[in-house]
Amino acid sequence: MSFNVSSFLESLISAFKYAPVTLELTAITFVVSLILGTFIATIRHYRVPVLSQFFAIFVTIYMGLPMMVALILYNLIFMTFYNDFAEAFHISVQISDINPIFIGFFALILGTSCSISESVRGAFRGIDKTQYEAGYSIGLTKFQTLRRIIFPQMVPILLPGMQNSLIGLLKASNLVSAISVIEIMTGALLPALLYYSYLEGYVAAALVYWIIGACIELLAAIAEKNSGKYLKRTVG
Amino acid sequence: MGNYFSIDRFINVFPKIISNISVNFHIVFWSMLFGTILAVLVAVLRLKKIPVISQIISVYISFMRGTPLLVQMMIAFYGIPLLLGSLFLNVFGINLNRIEPVIFVEIAIILNEGAFLGEIFRGAITSVPSIQTEAGYSIGMTGAQTFSRIVLPQAFKVALPHYGVDLVGVFQNTSLVFTLGVVDVLGKAKTLGAATGHTLEGYIAATLVYITFSLILKGAFLLLEKKLK
Repeated sequence: MSFNVSSFLESLISAFKYAPVTLELTAITFVVSLILGTFIATIRHYRVPVLSQFFAIFVTIYMGLPMMVALILYNLIFMTFYNDFAEAFHISVQISDINPIFIGFFALILGTSCSISESVRGAFRGIDKTQYEAGYSIGLTKFQTLRRIIFPQMVPILLPGMQNSLIGLLKASNLVSAISVIEIMTGALLPALLYYSYLEGYVAAALVYWIIGACIELLAAIAEKNSGKYLKRTVG
Repeated sequence: MGNYFSIDRFINVFPKIISNISVNFHIVFWSMLFGTILAVLVAVLRLKKIPVISQIISVYISFMRGTPLLVQMMIAFYGIPLLLGSLFLNVFGINLNRIEPVIFVEIAIILNEGAFLGEIFRGAITSVPSIQTEAGYSIGMTGAQTFSRIVLPQAFKVALPHYGVDLVGVFQNTSLVFTLGVVDVLGKAKTLGAATGHTLEGYIAATLVYITFSLILKGAFLLLEKKLK
């Protein structure tokens, strides 16, 4: 056994071919989770009765659930109950025709929303009470104050945490390989399965992930610089 | 619906699954032990800024941060026997292809934690103001004494909450090891499911076990933090 360069290159090309799947999983999940997470955090921040208690319990419990376990459980529940469900609602699509990526989206969005909501809650705490009062004093409504005064100030506080979330999500999206979605890792393994060159396949996958992760870090550094400018402008 | 899930089967399967938590904690314990040692080394070397070594370490940290743990585990599993196989066979008489896959999982998590904890420790050490170090020097302490008696205790308090979060993360990451054939909680749920044909009960049991122990670990660290304050 030795490291075969040509099968490594073949795996690398195949991994790049499936990179859009991982990027799609990461980007869509991130945007949806950011919206949902902000929503949950806002509800908890304003202590909306019933809903805030519900989310407090839900987020605490759900943060204890590893992504892999969640994915496998949802996949299993989907497989078990889909036929009954489809029969009840007269859906004629066969289970084999459904792309398991939807289960991946579901699990990733739920998990990431919970963790992002915790970061946003932390950012809420970082904003002074006088900022709300300033908003109310000039006659803005609660929602207007949030949108025009509070959220823009939260951006620079949130950026480093969001960079970590995004890279964490990129890596977590790798787990959907367990429910037979073809993404970067399984894509890199496709040629490897023919020649038993698993190591080459996994190294190729690691390289592609590494490149994407480095790009995210670069973008985050640029974003951080710009948001810092904004902060200086408002303070100065 | 009654066909898919039965309480009797769940009660039957639960003790079998929860008993495999020892495998998860075995991995967490050894990974955290050696991971912490490696992380201290990484943090100190990074702070010392020795030319070539600090570049190597920043590449190492970037790799560990940028690639999924599952891929790292697989690379350890296939790569270590290839890289060191003949050495171990000739020098120590150990065939690396025969040893338990759990060892490779632990090596992967140790290397991963070395990077993540290393960054946590580095942040904690740099958070201690430099006047503290100067105070140590002013009363005649050596560099090592100042570090171990003044900087380290203060850095420890800063690092502890992050360390707790990280440890819970490692515990949750042990759910990946079943992909390498290690029979942990999730692996047991899978094998029992394959043997009996009833998978749902096992996976629900595994889910409950993971959630419960994650919350217990998290709670324990919060308690520890409160006590130290």
